[in-house]
Formats: sequence, C-alpha cells, structure tokens
Amino acid sequence: MRLETGSDGEIVRAVLAGDRDRFAILVERYRDRYARYAARMLGSADEAEDAVQDAFVRAYDQLGQCKEPDKFVGWFFLILRNRCFAERRRNRTSAPIEAAEAVAAADRTDGGAESADRRRALQLALLELTPDQREVFVLKHVEGLSYGEIAERLSTSVPSLKMRMHRAYDRLREQLREQR
Amino acid sequence: MLLAFALPLVLLMQQQPAIAGRLGGRVSPEIAALATELGTAAAARGLPVDPIIQKAIEGSAKGVPADRVAAAMRLVASQLDASRGALLTGNSALGVDTVAIAAGAFALTAGLKDGDVTALSHSGAPRADIIVGLRVAGTLSALGVPRAETVSLVQASLQAGRPAGELLSLPGQVQTQVAKGVTPAQAAAGLARAAAAQSRRGPPPGRGQPPPHPGPPPHP
Amino acid sequence: MSEREFHPLVKQLLDGDVTLADLPAELRAEGEEALLILGAVDRRPVQLGDFTARVMAQVVERPRRTFWRRVLEPREIRVSVRPWLLVPALAAAAALVLWLGRSGPAASSSPALVTVRFVLSAPDAHAVSVAGTFNQWNANATPLVRTGDGLWTATLTLPAGEHQYAFVVDGARWVPDPAAPAVDDGFGRRNSVLTL
Repeated sequence: MRLETGSDGEIVRAVLAGDRDRFAILVERYRDRYARYAARMLGSADEAEDAVQDAFVRAYDQLGQCKEPDKFVGWFFLILRNRCFAERRRNRTSAPIEAAEAVAAADRTDGGAESADRRRALQLALLELTPDQREVFVLKHVEGLSYGEIAERLSTSVPSLKMRMHRAYDRLREQLREQR
Repeated sequence: MLLAFALPLVLLMQQQPAIAGRLGGRVSPEIAALATELGTAAAARGLPVDPIIQKAIEGSAKGVPADRVAAAMRLVASQLDASRGALLTGNSALGVDTVAIAAGAFALTAGLKDGDVTALSHSGAPRADIIVGLRVAGTLSALGVPRAETVSLVQASLQAGRPAGELLSLPGQVQTQVAKGVTPAQAAAGLARAAAAQSRRGPPPGRGQPPPHPGPPPHP
Repeated sequence: MSEREFHPLVKQLLDGDVTLADLPAELRAEGEEALLILGAVDRRPVQLGDFTARVMAQVVERPRRTFWRRVLEPREIRVSVRPWLLVPALAAAAALVLWLGRSGPAASSSPALVTVRFVLSAPDAHAVSVAGTFNQWNANATPLVRTGDGLWTATLTLPAGEHQYAFVVDGARWVPDPAAPAVDDGFGRRNSVLTL
C-alpha cells in the first residue's frame, strides 16, 4: 500500500528530498478531516474545498519551514485555520443562508429531513458567532476534541476556551430562537 | 414549554411530505398515515425517522396484515425512544445523535437491555467507535451470545482502543469458534479475556494510523 | 422564554461534564433544549472527489522541486477478504464480504463501501432474490444468479453500517440466511443481519 505508508515526518522529509509524489499521501491522510473543519467554519462545502486546497498547496510551498516534520498536521492545521479566518473576513457580506443550505443539503441519508433541517438551523447560527467562538465549538463538538486538546492546538488555556464556548452556547440559543 | 428551534410547527409540517415521499407509494394509505404520524412524533423527540419508515416498507413488502405492520412500527418507535433514554443516561452527546440512537435501537431489537446500551455508551471511546460497538453488540446478541458476555466483550474491545475494523470482526470470530464446537458464550468470553489483556498491555505497536490530532503545534 | 443565557449547569451538560440526570428537575427542560443543539451538530464528512489529484496538479507546477514525475499513480484498492465471513460460507448460504473500499486514515472518517456477495443454496428454486434495508425491501430489485450446483449468488456494494435482509425464493417465500445472525422482524419471522 504505497500510498499509506510512512509517518508524517518520514513523508515530509522524503518530499523535501525531492520525492514530490509522496505529498499526495499527506493530502489523502488529512483532506477529509480538515475539509469538515473548514466546511463548518465557512458554512460552505465549496469554500471549504478551496480553502483546504489552498492550504495544502501553501503547505507544500512552505514545507521547508515545517520545523518539526513529525508534527506536520498541527502545522498544517494552523495554515488552514488562518486561511479560514481570512476567508470569513473577506466574505462577511456574502449570504450565509445559501452557504448553510449547501452544507446541509449535501447529504440527507443519515438521519432524514428532520436532521437536515436542524443541521441547517445550527449551521446558520454558527455563522453568527465570532470565528473564535465558532472554532472552539467546531473543534469540540464536530471534531470531538477535549478542551485540553484544543488548548494545546491553539496555545491557549482551558478556562479561556470554556469562557469562549459558554458565550457561544448562549449566542446559539439566542440565534436559534430568533430563527423560529 | 416551547423548545427552541427543534419543534417549530413549520419543521414538523415539512416532515409529512418528506415521509410520504420516502414511502413512495409502497405502502397502503392506512400504513402511510401511521408512518407519518409516528415519524413526525419521533422527529419531534429527536429520534431518527428512517427505522420506522423501513419497518412500514418491510411489512408491506412481506405482505403482512396492516395491524401487524402497525404494531411492529410502534415497537420500533418505542425501541428508538428506549435507546435515546439509555444513551442519554450514559453519554448525553450520543443521546441526541440519531445515528447512535438507531444503533442502540438495533441492539435492543437484538435482545440487549437498556442498561446494556447505557453501559456501552459510556465506555469513553470515540463516538464512531461506540456506534460501531452498539451495532456489533446487537450482532453478537443475534448470534446467540448472552447479554453479559456481549457487553463484556464489546466494552473490553472499546477500552482496548480497538479500531472499528477489529470490532466488526468480532461476530465472525465468534462464529469461527462456534463452528469448532464451543458455545457462543464461551467464544465471546475468550475473546473478551484477550481484549482485556491487550488493554492492560496497551495498544499493539505499529497500528500505522496517526493519532487524530497530534499536538501541540507551533504558535499561530 | 425570556431568559437568554443557559444556566451554568446546563453549560456543563453541553460540555459533557454532567448528564441530564444530574440536573435538578427544574433545569431538565432547559437541558433538553440545550442538547438539541448538540443533536443538530453536523459531523458528517465532506466529500471531496478527485481533490488529491487537483492539489497534486498544482504542486507539480511549483518551481521548487527539481524534477518532474508522474502526478499521481492510480490509487491502489486494498482487497481484503474478511475470513470470518468465509465460515458461514461453508454452510452454503451466506453473505460474503469480498473487499473493503479504500482504507487508511483518510477513509477512517468517511463511510466505507463494502462489496458483499450473497450466496444461497436452493437447488429446487426457480428464482431467488435478496431484499433488505439496502434496497427498500424490494423483492424484485436484486435477483441472484444461478451458478451451478444449486447455488445462487448476487454481488452488491453496500455502505458500512447495519443492514437487515432476507432471501425471497420463487417470488413468495421469505427465507433468512441460515448462516447469518438473525433478529426478530416484528412479524413473527427472522431477518438476517449484516454489520459492515
């Protein structure tokens, strides 16, 4: 299984040594997981795909700056995160309703129409949070990370994350009530 | 109390054509009406609708009289409710997850009890693994493994951090042992001991999958 | 309904620190409302299609690397027979899993497709099909083909998950797979179970 072998660090070193094709292994390994993060952050599957694609190409370009090849994915995450935050700043005037619908309508197979409606309502509400609030919600409740893991990734403290999240809960409650 | 956003009347009304559409004229008007009623009520409680629709279609395809189809659909709805309750007790996030609720309801259909579903749901394993664990537990039960042995085996496997593929292999391993002449209970107990031993030793080396989120990254 | 903020205990519920049962009775309704938010969280993977090829097409245009090689070799598909399902096959009737679709980390969060072969020994039958949750219990949708020695087979690719099914012999007789686990179908018969 050529496409699946090697730790991240081995692959990064091989790519830097000239074996460019092996970068595809890293893309395969992380594309789906981070597309989901980006889709929930941006509210649009299409924008997410563009963001993840750009992030991978940028990571390739800057691979020499990845100081700890074994921690490639943490480094890559920060590239993607910056890209997502920038995208939200650019698109502040875009219509989030369509975006959220695109995400919710992508697949109705695993829970039916009622789940799709609720997912759409929540995605719309998420887009009304600040990016910081949205991110902590996505990392905890979509990606399933603990507060400790999120704090490590974002180099911050658990209490400050909790404060951010608890504000997000209140804001979501307010938004979802307004949508009724 | 009016629940925020989950129960707006408009959403519930949208359920009805959606359910009718999925029944697709495969059932009698009587069964379609009941499926819509039960499905709408299920959706309002945060339950998956699909199992109820499937049971309506299955009964009709098998030519079962309407009253028996109706009873079976009500049973499915009550098992979904029971699954949700059992999951909420063990793991509040899974109790609102329609995929997990459906998996728990299958386990109940296969002979497990509410307490078994609760026990499996708070094993501390990732959501996806618990859902697979619930399905595998139901399958083991359907193979004739007693409840206690089923729960011990799946719990031990989840706690040993076994990936979904290995969990899915458990029913086949039990069948292999049974083909050699042991009882399903003995087969499951043997596999549970092996999983528990692995759990004490830690996961096998060289699994090859990177951890989901290696950290810590450099500062942004 | 005038309050806008969740009670701190309800926030702990959302954080997973307490369960609904831990909340005082007067907070249960608020707790239920809060949990509906988590119930609406969309954890499904995003499907990206030929994404890797597109990234690699951009990568090869980058000047930094010194030599050009093939963009991407065709993806290998892991072919793995699941041996535990070969055992029921010996009983001459079974659903066999032939191979698992792409595996590896990228696949771990996406629904894998599994190809399954259904086999039934029914020498006297004139027609056999398989009906189940994967084909809306349609007895005409998936006919099996007679392969000799009275064996009937059909190959299907199904999503990972739990499926229930039965064979339909001569268009009328619903027969569970004798080699597979089975559950009560609610109508006094048994459904076979396939968990992938």
